[in-house]
Amino acid sequence: MEARVMEPQPADDLDLVQETVAGTQASFELLVERYQSRMFALARHYTKNPVEMEDLVQEAFLKAFTRLDTFQHQSSFYTWLYRIATNTILDWMKRRGRSPVTSVEDPELIGEPSRVKIAAPDAQMERNETARITHEVLEHLPDIFRQVLVMREFEEMAYQDIAETLGISIGTVESRLFRARARFKDKLLQLHPEFGQGE
Amino acid sequence: MNACTDSRPLIMSYLDGELSEAQAAPLRKHLLECQPCRASAQDQKNLTRWLSTAKQVEEPVHVPRDFAARVARRAFQGDRGALTVEAPMAVLPQRRDERSFRFVLVLTAAAAVIVLCFAVAIRQMTLPTSSRMMAQDENVLPLDKTIQELDRLNARDCEAAKPDVKPAEAGRRP
Repeated sequence: MEARVMEPQPADDLDLVQETVAGTQASFELLVERYQSRMFALARHYTKNPVEMEDLVQEAFLKAFTRLDTFQHQSSFYTWLYRIATNTILDWMKRRGRSPVTSVEDPELIGEPSRVKIAAPDAQMERNETARITHEVLEHLPDIFRQVLVMREFEEMAYQDIAETLGISIGTVESRLFRARARFKDKLLQLHPEFGQGE
Repeated sequence: MNACTDSRPLIMSYLDGELSEAQAAPLRKHLLECQPCRASAQDQKNLTRWLSTAKQVEEPVHVPRDFAARVARRAFQGDRGALTVEAPMAVLPQRRDERSFRFVLVLTAAAAVIVLCFAVAIRQMTLPTSSRMMAQDENVLPLDKTIQELDRLNARDCEAAKPDVKPAEAGRRP
């Protein structure tokens, strides 16, 4: 599965970065315009408040601006920006007491996953309804699990990218993703038992 | 790899395309042979379909008007972001230090006041009262008068020590 973080026009981004570092405000504005929608889409997974959303995205871009001279060009600009945005969101969650590193000792987090199988979304069901239920379930998940699910399922990031962004090992990504999916299934079946298929 | 216990943890990574061919090949073989593991794989596929459907129908985001221009302008004006200032990991220890410093200052001031009060109290206890006279308050001559008195006494003693001879008696001696 090709990662969405791969940018189609890295050369253009690099030019804009260099022009911004040289002092061209319009070039940075172009960079913001290019990625603002994806940044807002990312922030939307963590808050539904439009003011908070805008603050988070703006903060991410301002942080990126102050660090542009450290951009190593080893990854795409979007991957680099995405890491900054993710860390900005992590900091914000910590400030709000919504620690993304919710204690792994929490028995609720490490409980046995349900043995009940889950049905695929009903083909007859409206896709919008499926999406609504999915987002409803995601909102019930601890941030630590929602975060990896968003990165993997919505951003389609490779395990390696998730590990580098979160500063954890690939093994931790695997185990966290495994538990996140188990928790998603449990919560979905708890909220909507009609989608269970029995053991 | 045949045991289900070895295979189950790899199923998710396999479906995500994260396994190398060397890891994937034996797992595929096991899935063909093991119905419970196939069911587990199907369960995870169904789960992924929920998430992928949600991704496909994500509503377009609303970006505020002139957002990029505003952010670029603020960046070039030196704005590092309002949220940065409030970062608790950097600020909280500093606040804690400030609080400790203030506490130590107050404690030191309180200690100084207490020591001062004790000093004044002790001084007050050593001062004379109407019913109690101290040595230094008795009638003692000042130093110059004492010296004069001593000189006077010395002179008197010297006079007393002289031999008691009258001039007339002295002339009669051979």
